[in-house]
Amino acid sequence: MKYRITAATAVLAAGALSLTACSSGDGGEGGASGAPADGDYTGETLTVMHYEGEESAMGKAWNLAIEMFEEETGATVDLQTTAFEDLNASAQQLFDSSDAPDVSEYNKGNGTAGQLAATGVILPLDDAYETYGWADKLSAGIDTIAKYDENGVMGSGSWYGVPNYGEFVFLYFNQDMFDEYGIEVPTDEASLETAMQAFVDEGVTPLTTSAQEYPMGQLWYQLALSQADRSWVDAYQLYTEAVDWAGPEVSYASGTLEDWVNAGYISKDASGMTAEDAGLAFINGDAPMFYSGSWWYGRMLEDVTDFEFGITNWPDTTLTPGSGGNIWVVPVESKQPELAEIFIDITMRPEVQALLGESGGLPVAADTADITDPDAQKLIELFNEVNDRDGLSFYPDWPTPTFYGDLNSVMQGIVNGDVTADEANTQLMDYYESYVADLR
Amino acid sequence: MTAVAQAPAPAPSTDGKDRRNKARPRTVAEWVMLTLAVLGALAIVFPMLLLLLNAFKSPQDYANSGPLELPQALSFEGIRTFWETQNFPRALWNSIFISTMVSIIAVVVSVLNSFAIGIGRVRGRTWIVLVFLMANLVPQEMLFDPLFQLYDDMGLLSNPWSVILTFVVIQSAFGTYLLSSLLGTFPKEILEAASVDGATRWRTLRSVIVPIVRPTLSVLMVFFFIWTWNEFLLPLAFLNTSDSLTVPLLLEQLNGERQTDTTTLIAGTLISIIPTIIFFLIFQRTLTRGITAGAVK
Repeated sequence: MKYRITAATAVLAAGALSLTACSSGDGGEGGASGAPADGDYTGETLTVMHYEGEESAMGKAWNLAIEMFEEETGATVDLQTTAFEDLNASAQQLFDSSDAPDVSEYNKGNGTAGQLAATGVILPLDDAYETYGWADKLSAGIDTIAKYDENGVMGSGSWYGVPNYGEFVFLYFNQDMFDEYGIEVPTDEASLETAMQAFVDEGVTPLTTSAQEYPMGQLWYQLALSQADRSWVDAYQLYTEAVDWAGPEVSYASGTLEDWVNAGYISKDASGMTAEDAGLAFINGDAPMFYSGSWWYGRMLEDVTDFEFGITNWPDTTLTPGSGGNIWVVPVESKQPELAEIFIDITMRPEVQALLGESGGLPVAADTADITDPDAQKLIELFNEVNDRDGLSFYPDWPTPTFYGDLNSVMQGIVNGDVTADEANTQLMDYYESYVADLR
Repeated sequence: MTAVAQAPAPAPSTDGKDRRNKARPRTVAEWVMLTLAVLGALAIVFPMLLLLLNAFKSPQDYANSGPLELPQALSFEGIRTFWETQNFPRALWNSIFISTMVSIIAVVVSVLNSFAIGIGRVRGRTWIVLVFLMANLVPQEMLFDPLFQLYDDMGLLSNPWSVILTFVVIQSAFGTYLLSSLLGTFPKEILEAASVDGATRWRTLRSVIVPIVRPTLSVLMVFFFIWTWNEFLLPLAFLNTSDSLTVPLLLEQLNGERQTDTTTLIAGTLISIIPTIIFFLIFQRTLTRGITAGAVK
């Protein structure tokens, strides 16, 4: 009896395997035949890889998605968690090898997912987008990072990934410190500088940031964006036309930062601080303001215990750094492309998206009415405000694969007083053009 | 520090004669050396102290206090999170298995290579040694892609043998270099005596040469073990499944894209240095002998 069951299972499994093999063959090429016909995949395994913490909003939501997936398809999920840096270093090889996961989270942007798309290491998902209607769920600005052209430049071409969440950058402020010194929370740019000067007069460094890692680069970009319009962002990020490195946007950004360092709004220590150090200075209550991203929000809710903190968008700007979050991609060596698509679709379901929002993430396809947590609502409200003015403008380091380090080193130069604003702009132009000039 | 200022130029040769006189007070030079040794020891212990102080803080406590402050309350949250989310025993076993296999096989290969080069005195041996040394000089980033393809074709990805094979080659290259120069100066009289007694080459190697250079071999073995234990880049490339990770790779898993759960990372680091400390206690005599490796009595 036992043998017979085993044999029957084996036959079933073999049958399912060959079915998958057939349908995956044409699933990539033509039509909507990739859609699940029967929905029974008992005995199959889907290897899912991601690098979000178990307790993060994404980690929680995806665990729910895995549960739902296993229940609905009968297949089992082999979850492989990795680290961002690990996958960043090895994805190019890994996704094209026998060790490739069937579906994986991957870092969005030209230098990362774009490069994989251009070299054919991840599969185009155009048919799946059509079958499941994902495009309707993603708002403009979010979906830019899901499409890549043949050069790996985002914004046009085929669909290669599906973002589950969004992220953006805004101002965290320490309400207790503002109250203590009787300073108003800034609502426009003039009042921001007045507030910072008031703190300096009280002997407090108002703005904590890090030039060694991303925070100061993002601040620089925000300052440029406050003077820019959408066509400047397209030029900078999508290479539609040449960026004017002596123009008002860049000059304002570098010049303002230089002034702020000289005025003591930004500490000289910023050049040696990591993002973690900068964030800790805010959490400790040492600095009243911290300009950084929504990825800090859950941490702040948990770790800020001694004071009330508030969040607000950067004053006087229509454009804000931010984008869709990391995307689900299907590696070219995926053994289960069809199941991978079903899994991705489940991550876009309202239940999963709502849990993501409840847990402090920014869902892309949730019904806002489903989210009841007041802290989560506050964040989503702020995010909606950015989306309403079509403000998401990506991140400063995206244009070239090395611009992250380049920008940080220039920021350190400004903080240390080694370079003037004009010299900084020239350096940035050289770094930027050395890569982008060939792509335009 | 004051002692350093008092004696700017210690002259060890002058107090060398009366070293046996235990009753006499310590000289200035000795005080300087003692202070320096204590300072050096403190510098080495300091990071471990930091680990100990911070591993038992809760994340909130860590965020709200400096790294040198005592925890407000003993919290095992970091250690528990690390133990629950990461399969440390498995990673420990992987690391021990890989490092042990590499150190044993690499020493055997080094002995065989250097027997041919050092004792056999093959033609062009300098160049051969140089070619061997290339394996150590080539940046590992260059090996990343070709070796990945190779192991992919061989089906060895996420298999410990991919790392073992790679590092046997790399470590034995250094071993061959060191042992070849050592065996190049091996006393001829001993070899001649062995051949007069009718020993074959194999017998000479096994019963004469290996016993004499055994101290050096055990030092090499310990070094190979430690070097392989600490390797990061190539294991990162070859070992992709959660079950195949080594200890350094496991710790890397705790680093987030933009956020790091620092207390868990610190707790994990603390746990992962325990085996290293045990290893050191067992092999500390061999390690100190390593300073004189390469010299024959």
